[in-house]
Amino acid sequence: MNLYAVIFYLLAFIILAATALAITRRNLMHAIVYLVLSFFGTALLFYLLGAPFLAVLEVIIYAGAIMVLFLFIVMMLEIKPADTPRRLYLRQWLPAAVLGVLCLAVAFVLIVFKTGESLPLPLAAASPLEFGRFLFQKYWFSVEIVSFLLFAALVGALYLGRREG
Amino acid sequence: MQPVNPVTLSPWAPGLFSLALYTAIVVGLLALLLILTRWLGEQKPDLEKARPYECGVIPTGGAQFRYPVPFYLVAVFFLIFDVETALIFSWAVAIEDLSWLGWLQISFFIIILLVGLVYLWLKGGLDWRPQSIRKALPPRS
Amino acid sequence: MSAWTLGIVLLLIKLLVVLVVLLLLAAYLIYVERRLLGFMQLRLGPNRAGPQGLLQPIADAVKLLTKEDFIPAGADRVIFLYAPALVAGTALLIFAVIPFARGWTFRGQEIPGVVSDLNVGLLFILALSSIGVYGVALGGWASNSKFALLGAIRGAAQMISYELALGLALVPVVMLARSFSLVDIVQAQARLPFIILQPLAFMIFFISAVAEMKRIPFDIPEAENELVAGYHTEYSGMRFGLYFLGEYVTMVTLGAMLAAFFLGGWRGPLLPPLLWFFIKVFIVVFALIWIRATLPRLRYDRLMEFGWKILIPVALLNIIITGGVMLALRR
Repeated sequence: MNLYAVIFYLLAFIILAATALAITRRNLMHAIVYLVLSFFGTALLFYLLGAPFLAVLEVIIYAGAIMVLFLFIVMMLEIKPADTPRRLYLRQWLPAAVLGVLCLAVAFVLIVFKTGESLPLPLAAASPLEFGRFLFQKYWFSVEIVSFLLFAALVGALYLGRREG
Repeated sequence: MQPVNPVTLSPWAPGLFSLALYTAIVVGLLALLLILTRWLGEQKPDLEKARPYECGVIPTGGAQFRYPVPFYLVAVFFLIFDVETALIFSWAVAIEDLSWLGWLQISFFIIILLVGLVYLWLKGGLDWRPQSIRKALPPRS
Repeated sequence: MSAWTLGIVLLLIKLLVVLVVLLLLAAYLIYVERRLLGFMQLRLGPNRAGPQGLLQPIADAVKLLTKEDFIPAGADRVIFLYAPALVAGTALLIFAVIPFARGWTFRGQEIPGVVSDLNVGLLFILALSSIGVYGVALGGWASNSKFALLGAIRGAAQMISYELALGLALVPVVMLARSFSLVDIVQAQARLPFIILQPLAFMIFFISAVAEMKRIPFDIPEAENELVAGYHTEYSGMRFGLYFLGEYVTMVTLGAMLAAFFLGGWRGPLLPPLLWFFIKVFIVVFALIWIRATLPRLRYDRLMEFGWKILIPVALLNIIITGGVMLALRR
């Protein structure tokens, strides 16, 4: 096991632990902090795998914008911490449990039976320049569609949040 | 799994190793300061002292209250424009290679978002003046 | 001693020197600011601790460390205790990617004049400043005080609004340098600093950075005559000190960022590179103090509308126009 593998497993453990804590915390603010930590770990993982541009965007967009929106909502709503034990409804946890078991089974099969060839990752790092060239030469149309999607989101957010009267 | 160049681990190169060490020193320093202030500071807990400061008046109710909607909206708009900024950055770095075609694509992209911004402006999504002032005055052009 | 050990030792020395200089600069900046503000307002400023008050920062540090580490009733303890470190930490980490000198040669090995030359350095700075929002928002929320919460929400909304203009103002810099690495950006300004090519982007970046730092005229989150002290109302001791330190380290790093992005970094005629770097940082810092002594505070609606209705559209148009001109002038 070389140094990279050690860092990889360490990061993977941190991400999993932080995400698990984020799901189980009753205090919403603590859950947000753990989720930010998990995004941070994911960004470091991206960097380790040779995608620095993606790593920074993960922090800027996920930790820096999406979680800030969550933070705003938790900060500004009067959320009383619930004292009663949380009730779990069947229709809430059953689909989640089924999907979770399915994922675990697939992972188990993959690990035990080694269906795929174990290929070493090619020694490739995507520089920001290559990323930009790739995105705009191959997928420029998707970028334009994204602009319309963002426009629609803007209008939608405005109408949902518009003041009464 | 080592797509990261091994050179980055050299102490001579200004790479990840250097950054990790710097981060460790910064974190260590901050931890030291926080421990020192806990350790050196005198602890005299007092019921009156622990009360949140409200200019000497005894606080009524908790510090949680509902906030006006524009503050939520600004977070949503920020998210949308942040995604836009990320895409603009990925074009900006490759501007020479993408040439005029890339410029046309990003100009279209930016103009759509500018139209969105103008729409917000006209519909009052960027209006921060309090309701009372807004009613008294004609809409700002 | 092998090359590796020697490298480690030199690297450690370099990092410690960088950090100590950064902290000393920030500490003395507080003194210089109070002193200069004093002179600008026809009073003396701190002049008691040591000759001309030069030991004032040390006295302040001792006082902050020995004050009671106070936690208000009903506060969220864990978040309250660690939020200040987030502000100071991100401010200190930003400096890691800023080149401060040409670099030196020691026994045939190159010692770079930067802590870490990331190929996404510029975005690293933006990412860290977006994390800085958490320090303000979480600290204010965890205090369980109305003033602190009001300050935190105002501060967070202001910071995210101006972060957009901050990022968009840097797009032309990336276009001109064709890289996110700050070393490459300084390299690209060998002939002409970008402030001459991009005065508009410079102005937008400077204004949004001042707003991002919540300094006068944008200090509404801590407006003392309505919010006591805003998001750090309930903080005392070194935890308050870390908010303060973060603010002043940010002033220094803003000078360093402006130097790297627009003023040609450590480049300059005659004088040694390190000295040029410090001169540029001091000019920016002096400008910040001067602005503080001159301008009154903005009203909140004016502040938000200025960011969204003027800075962002202008920055976007600037990107399109710069791109067109660059491609038209291409050889």
